[in-house]
Amino acid sequence: MSDLETFRAETRAWLEAHCPESQRQPILKREQIWGGRNRVFPSADAQAWFEAMADRGWTAPSWPKEYGGGGLSIEEAKVLQQEMARLKCRPPLYEIGIWMFGPALLAYGNEAQKQEHIPKIVKGEIRWAQGYSEPGAGSDLASLKTKAEDMGDHFLVNGTKIWTTNAHKADWIFCLVRTDPSAPKQQGISFLLIDMASEGVSVSPIELISGESEFCQTFFDNVKVPKENLVGELNKGWDVAKELLKHERTLMSSMESMSEKEDFSLLELAQQYLSLNSEGTIEDGEIRSRIAQLLMEMEAFEQLNERMFYQYKAKQVDQRLGMLLKHIGTKQLQRKDELILEVLGNKALSWTAPTANQQEHIVTRNWAFNKSHTIAGGTSEIQLNIIAKRALGMAS
Amino acid sequence: MIFNEEQSMLKDTARAFIEENAPVDNLRKLRAAPEGPAYDLELWQQLVELGIPAVALPEEYGGLGFGFMGLAAVLGETGRNLVATPLVSSVALAASLIKLVGTEEQKSRWLPALASGELTATVAVQEGRHYNPKSIETKWANGALSGSKTMVMDAQEAGLVLVIAKNASGALCVLALNSLEDVEQERYMLMDGRKFSDLHFRDLAGVEELGEGEQVASVEQALDIATIALAAEMIGGAESLLERTVYHLNEREQFDVKLATFQALQHRCAEMYCQLELARSAVLSAFTRLDQGRNIAKAASQAKALANECYQHISNEAVQMHGGMGITDELDIGLYLKRSRVCNQLFGDANFHRKRYALQIGI
Ligand SMILES: Cc1cc2nc3c(=O)[nH]c(=O)nc-3n(C[C@H](O)[C@H](O)[C@H](O)COP(=O)(O)OP(=O)(O)OC[C@H]3O[C@@H](n4cnc5c(N)ncnc54)[C@H](O)[C@@H]3O)c2cc1C
Repeated sequence: MSDLETFRAETRAWLEAHCPESQRQPILKREQIWGGRNRVFPSADAQAWFEAMADRGWTAPSWPKEYGGGGLSIEEAKVLQQEMARLKCRPPLYEIGIWMFGPALLAYGNEAQKQEHIPKIVKGEIRWAQGYSEPGAGSDLASLKTKAEDMGDHFLVNGTKIWTTNAHKADWIFCLVRTDPSAPKQQGISFLLIDMASEGVSVSPIELISGESEFCQTFFDNVKVPKENLVGELNKGWDVAKELLKHERTLMSSMESMSEKEDFSLLELAQQYLSLNSEGTIEDGEIRSRIAQLLMEMEAFEQLNERMFYQYKAKQVDQRLGMLLKHIGTKQLQRKDELILEVLGNKALSWTAPTANQQEHIVTRNWAFNKSHTIAGGTSEIQLNIIAKRALGMAS
Repeated sequence: MIFNEEQSMLKDTARAFIEENAPVDNLRKLRAAPEGPAYDLELWQQLVELGIPAVALPEEYGGLGFGFMGLAAVLGETGRNLVATPLVSSVALAASLIKLVGTEEQKSRWLPALASGELTATVAVQEGRHYNPKSIETKWANGALSGSKTMVMDAQEAGLVLVIAKNASGALCVLALNSLEDVEQERYMLMDGRKFSDLHFRDLAGVEELGEGEQVASVEQALDIATIALAAEMIGGAESLLERTVYHLNEREQFDVKLATFQALQHRCAEMYCQLELARSAVLSAFTRLDQGRNIAKAASQAKALANECYQHISNEAVQMHGGMGITDELDIGLYLKRSRVCNQLFGDANFHRKRYALQIGI
């Protein structure tokens, strides 16, 4: 057996032994485990599964072992992912720290910062929020105004961040702040880590069309931040931000496949809600054809990801392909949501009515929430700008 | 999912050769001679000398055993320059049909000749207005073949014509004709400048059957191979069109700026590129499955449906973005536009393949 096959066999056996049956069922949003000082486990099984994974560093499978990560090669990490998918294991941890901040800190943080923050992310002890956008700085992020003044032994931060997802539950926030107001836009920005418990930090939630209020506006009023919380060089925060954004976009593009597992599949809902003819196929040819069309494209998206994986392995990466993922993935996800709504008919229209069941309510709220995917992490229009200019080389 | 070293080299060789020897203008010459050959015979000989027909065939039959992925690499290149070749009709389809359905004796008789380029073959599949092998009516019963075929590629040039028919019990079967002498034919040129034939069989006797017994699955698999081969060619065409369009937008100025600076055009090009890479991924995935010996029924339908839509969309956009020049015959854009529509119908349009895909996934 090759090393990879041995690893697969061992991983499969280990997952079989350590993933409780209850953790192999589709996960509901309220059952997700997020990191944090105040984290709660929805059940003993969930806690056991989380702890087993965190102990191995498999909440962050490919991060270096020295910081508590799994230390897996990308091939091994893919095997782990495949085996987890095969057993339908729930993701053990949902955390911005894992998805975006950790990889950027590993690339740009100093040794002390990595020692301090990475192990806590792996173990789900700290929950991170992202402080980029401001009321006046969205797509044009570099126009941000929140300022950090050098006061000798600390930075003094003043300003406000908006759309900070889950800031009200977060322990720490990583922020882009202006440290040189006289420099050209991108060059006066630094990347700063701020403890949400610091004096002068306040948060007010914003209600969304999905009924949730995960979003917040976060205010900084004369907040003192230690100098050692600067990541990368002073005024070079834009580089860190770009590194992080890469991971954010990859994540956003895979939300599609994530939600397919966590929520409900279009295929199953179609079979459940639409009239079938005697052979078990969907009677209405028109909607059947539109479902097939989308599923073909979604399959092609997986194939695109697979192609990129093999390119990476063969060291023949076509950089242009990575620029396509966010836009394609999020657009497909929204098309899927729209089709699901259509398939459910008036069963998808209830907000709280007792005539609809839990599945139907979740589907509807997902549809509303997922409108955010083409906005967050760089809007689709911005993605198309990037593709046109950088992938196709169109003049600007 | 990606080309290995050998396949990449093959692709580079094919590109260099085609760039030098097969400009799109070649197609104009073929088009100007409606009675002339379906493809440039001399050019084909050169491709034979490069070993192209042998690429995917197993070594025991004189092939190179590089797998179909190598053929996909070449087809992408012929597609880029609209090069007419018997790669789809003979190399992908006829050779696969013989390999999958033929008896050992038939395989040794024909495959080495196909691999060496001594022989080209074609397959008569389509009947009626839309491709659908399930509704084939050509009949093979009591030793006689009767029925009509349309859209047969490269028939005049082929030394062997395989005909897909239904036998007395309604199962698909394949007949092999060494000559079309006793067959009524009409040869015509379609809008893409390529030549096709209609064949009419009226109780034709004395034909040889390919293989023994019922081989429905094998016949379908050979058709799937041809389907993805054509899809690979189509991706090449769409890719070339997108490149030509972006090039044009970067050159042409209006309102004192390059057209490429207009965001409305940038976004449309970006969308085309997304569609192209999705379709390409589906095609590469189908070839990968094929070379792994896995079933490709679903993959072929997915790949062809997406390639159809991609080529059709990109060709429409390319015409539009070239402005008035886009609808002149002087520009090559129109040749791609027309080719895309012919390709759409060959081996099934998007509607056919979407339905077939739906069946495969059980909806
Ligand atoms: C679910 C979700 C979570 C988020 N989480 C966070 C978070 O945790 N932390 C954080 O800092 N931010 C977060 N954001 C904010 C997000 O990054 C911004 O919403 C996003 O960058 C867009 O900015 P905006 O909302 O100001 O829209 P605007 O920039 O005002 O855009 C409005 C519209 O104009 C279009 N537009 C703008 N510029 C151009 C252009 N140059 N060309 C063409 N069209 C253009 C946009 O595409 C969009 O359609 C989140 C957003 C969402 C939806």
